[in-house]
Amino acid sequence: MTDDRDFHVRAVAEGGVLGGGGRGKVDGLAKITGRSVFVDDLVLPRMVYAKVLRSPHAHAKILSIDASEALAMPGVLKVMTGEDCTARYGAIPVAQDETALALGKVRYIGEPVVCVAAVDEETARDACRRVRVVYEPLDAILSIDDALSADKPFIHEWARKPSNILRKVDQEYGDVDAAFAASDLVLEGTYDYPGSTHVPLETHAALAVPHADGRLTLWSSTQNPHYMHRTIARVLGMRPGDVRVIKPDIGAGYGGKCDTFCTDVCSAWLARALDRPVKFVFEREEVFYAHRGRHRTKMWLKMGMTKEGRVTGIDFKAWAEGGAYASYGVVTSFYLGVFMTMPYKVENYRFQSHRVYTNHPPCGPKRGHGAIQPRFALELHLDRMCEALGLDPVQVRLDNLIEAGHETVNGLLVPSIALSECIERVVQASDYRAKKGSLPPGRGIGLACSAYMCGALHAVYDNDLPHSGVQLKCDRSGRVTIFSGTADCGQGSNHMLAVFVAERLGIDPTDCTVVEADTDLTPVDLGSYSSRVTFMAGNAALQAADRLRSQIASALAAKFKVPVESLVFAGREVRGAWRPIPWLEAVDIAEGHHGTLGSVGSYKPPKIGSRLKRTSVGPSPAYSFTAQVAEVTVDQVSGVVTVDKMWAAHDLGRVLHREIAEGQIEGCVYMGVGEALLEEQAYRKDGVHMTPSILEYRIPTVYDTPEIQVLLVESHDPGGPFGAKEAGEGPQLSTVPAIGNALHDAIGRWLTNPPYTPEKVWKAIKGR
Amino acid sequence: MLPFPKFSYEAPGTLDELFTLASVSGSRIVAGGTDLLPSLKHRLFQDTLLISLRRLRELRGVTIEGGALVIGANTTLRDVARDDRVAAGWPALRDACRTIATSTIQAMGTLGGNVMLDTRCLYYNQPDGWRASIGGCLKADGSVCHVAPNGAGCYAAHSADTVPALWLYGAILRFGSERGIREVALADLYGTDGRTWLGNARDEVLLAIVVPKAPAGSVVHRKLRARGAIDYGMLLTAVHRRPDGSGAAVVSALGPRPVFVEAERVEDLAAAAHKAATPMRTHAYGVGWRKHMVRVEVERALAGS
Ligand SMILES: Cc1cc2nc3c(=O)[nH]c(=O)nc-3n(C[C@H](O)[C@H](O)[C@H](O)COP(=O)(O)OP(=O)(O)OC[C@H]3O[C@@H](n4cnc5c(N)ncnc54)[C@H](O)[C@@H]3O)c2cc1C
Ligand code: SF4
Repeated sequence: MTDDRDFHVRAVAEGGVLGGGGRGKVDGLAKITGRSVFVDDLVLPRMVYAKVLRSPHAHAKILSIDASEALAMPGVLKVMTGEDCTARYGAIPVAQDETALALGKVRYIGEPVVCVAAVDEETARDACRRVRVVYEPLDAILSIDDALSADKPFIHEWARKPSNILRKVDQEYGDVDAAFAASDLVLEGTYDYPGSTHVPLETHAALAVPHADGRLTLWSSTQNPHYMHRTIARVLGMRPGDVRVIKPDIGAGYGGKCDTFCTDVCSAWLARALDRPVKFVFEREEVFYAHRGRHRTKMWLKMGMTKEGRVTGIDFKAWAEGGAYASYGVVTSFYLGVFMTMPYKVENYRFQSHRVYTNHPPCGPKRGHGAIQPRFALELHLDRMCEALGLDPVQVRLDNLIEAGHETVNGLLVPSIALSECIERVVQASDYRAKKGSLPPGRGIGLACSAYMCGALHAVYDNDLPHSGVQLKCDRSGRVTIFSGTADCGQGSNHMLAVFVAERLGIDPTDCTVVEADTDLTPVDLGSYSSRVTFMAGNAALQAADRLRSQIASALAAKFKVPVESLVFAGREVRGAWRPIPWLEAVDIAEGHHGTLGSVGSYKPPKIGSRLKRTSVGPSPAYSFTAQVAEVTVDQVSGVVTVDKMWAAHDLGRVLHREIAEGQIEGCVYMGVGEALLEEQAYRKDGVHMTPSILEYRIPTVYDTPEIQVLLVESHDPGGPFGAKEAGEGPQLSTVPAIGNALHDAIGRWLTNPPYTPEKVWKAIKGR
Repeated sequence: MLPFPKFSYEAPGTLDELFTLASVSGSRIVAGGTDLLPSLKHRLFQDTLLISLRRLRELRGVTIEGGALVIGANTTLRDVARDDRVAAGWPALRDACRTIATSTIQAMGTLGGNVMLDTRCLYYNQPDGWRASIGGCLKADGSVCHVAPNGAGCYAAHSADTVPALWLYGAILRFGSERGIREVALADLYGTDGRTWLGNARDEVLLAIVVPKAPAGSVVHRKLRARGAIDYGMLLTAVHRRPDGSGAAVVSALGPRPVFVEAERVEDLAAAAHKAATPMRTHAYGVGWRKHMVRVEVERALAGS
């Protein structure tokens, strides 16, 4: 760790802000002093409240809805049903299958059916209970097998070609069968990764405000204001320019707020219908139905290896249980396979996936979207093969690593990778080699690696426009305002923007104001998903900052008669003229010289990788890499697993702010520990969610969180802003398989179906 | 946010007022409110009058009377756990207070509220809309039990952490009502149906928990839970290792009434508890494993005694 600290000291000594150790986030003080404003904090004159009635059936026709009793209640203003807003929408243009409220039929228990607006939440809620809905129950599809069966009704019978398979992907690269024939060991295995959900602390919330001129403002707790902007305009039949979407401070998302929800559409529709502001905030239970979490995925993996440990080929099948709507499921069907060709070189690869519909709450993107499940299978499988061949799991991983400049067989070009350093550092820090196989009974150590993306090369809707835009305003006050359409969800992306701009202009991040996520004020950014913000918005911010700096530099060069190139921006001054020019004066001179100052920057990913057309979902301008080691203790009598410590080394390209990067990586490990030991989005066999509360759906408490040692590794990506990549999702991929491999070391059993509950582990030990 | 149903609220200043209010039908006592308020939001009770104990100083605090500990029903779990006399003479009670929920809830929740805690079940402690989707259950708004459809009633689990230890300490509960004061052994309070598990009359308010001088030998509390905090117990265990080599155990979270077993040889206690315990599907964790854990928990509690 010391080398990174040294780097930071160096950076600070040079007057730069990179590294940033010890500096608070630009929005940190507001957060910890309770000044941040969330949707539920917003109160407007004449504001009313919305609540929904949800389906008690997993699959049923809606025969009738009688709201007369509810409408007669004092304080009830409006009742909205699916018929009021029939335009179908969805995250991905090719799979738009949702309406804000169920239309004609319900597809999962907890699906919103009727929305009531009333003068207060209590009245709206009571009124919902008085709406009489008559259903005709249908045969429900409650498992992957049901969905694949020919004898079941279709969940989306209205589609042009109805099917309970949303998407099937088939891909083959190289000659897998020949590769297996030439292998010393070919091993098959099955894996079953559970579904889980995000549990953001702030529930989904929206406040829609109609304006006198017919325009509409929607405040929403969302990760993707831009996509929501498009969706709301289309669904309400409005011109995009007449809709303004604002994301205020939000209490995290982790992928759970990438879609447009009934909170958004219903509040917007009701606000227009009533000509009053409408607020709609989910109860905790409702977040479990809105879901969009991890797909439960069953997997079959076959892999070939030479006796020296070279991976020869992979044959992989995945069946993802997606719930009742598509959400980002089409993308999931690709992500399940696309990253299997890294970080280990695989020249022969066959992949098939099915993403199916079932009558459960819809799945979608959760931190490490689609890549978590196959990574778990691959990393366990690798250790199993090493065991069978008597090979060292560390050496086998190192020997198979791809190198910078490698293009995978499925067309992913990897500009930078420092995974060997990550592996060496976690192995050394954890003393893995000495401990593996030699800890006392019940204790074990495990290693796993992973690769992830830094944003997608393609937007979810096809276009040739920038993925990210940043606009800067600067005036004689010295303050620089950064306008950006990005959506900080607490991860610190606002701070990153300030770091980029401040570093380029030689000022401090606290000299910058970030105005974000307001579609009237800020340039388009595609949103907080696929770990794209630092990379893409960062590049846009750098371009804008460079342009502003050029304006200031040219004005100073003219005034002080020095070449532009001799000017250095650092420490809140510009040096290189006969005297240092304080920042404030420099801006003053520039404003006098050019008139009002301002600049824009944008980023569009380069079209890299020669085989791009083969997979349009998956390619990214850069990839991050992680190695993790887990040490566990298993209580052999009870089956209780304790993760004693995790070591996480992550190649994030470049450290821009140490604490934020470490926080992201710790957060990833934390969520991984939850998925490994505790969490499961579990349903009863009739489709009832068994634990829709944060008492019974158990995320780890501080007592359940192991000590985490984070090791930051820099690979200086050529396309990343200052060489940076990502740190917000990739590090979660290694956690669960590292724990799975450690469990095997501890009890000699391969447990292929997390979460590792005491009961499961106890049974595994008994069966030994 | 989950809204409250409408209710009215009284905070009587004297015991007489308290007893009068408690006799009103549709009234319910609120102490710390940490169990009651979430349950109201889940629409588990129809009561419309909440009677707060907060103004009654006599219901708060720990005193020693003739070697016995007298704890006002409205004493917070934190105050009980921090009391040096409790720690010195009745350490298992202190330990039990400290395994409840979280430190913030311990600062609000009371010992009386814990003793009177509602029984719990995966099918019952859910919001109203959820329960409606399964048609309710015997304990609330329904006519079937989802845990044991062919069973004899409701099996919702007694889940109060302090009760196993209080039981082995021989605690006596002091109730008051318009009819006067009445004392009941804690061990006699709980029945076998999760709907009617409390033996006191509806209008009887718990005033104090009297814990006699601790018996010879040692009493140890253990809790099996999924996480290091917040969670209710999957098993709550207290054991008493007596000087004569015999022992007793109370294991709870198995059904409405905690299971009490004794053994002449303390070595046989775990097997006896294991035999007597029948975990039900009231929890998310499987019954086979929980049954196995009864033995383990008793053994481990004894090892710590
Ligand atoms: C997240 C969470 C986790 C929890 N975990 C645990 C746990 O692990 N273990 C555990 O035991 N409890 C747990 N609890 C429940 C609760 O916090 C404790 O049991 C607490 O001791 C209850 O006390 P209270 O004063 O808040 O009771 P209240 O909520 O005020 O009352 C509980 C019940 O007792 C009745 N009551 C209270 N006082 C009297 C009285 N003097 N006379 C007659 N009736 C009375 C009330 O009418 C009500 O029915 C948890 C609660 C929450 C919210
Ligand atoms: S045990 Fe049966 S009746 Fe009792 S709460 Fe649970 S489901 Fe309801």
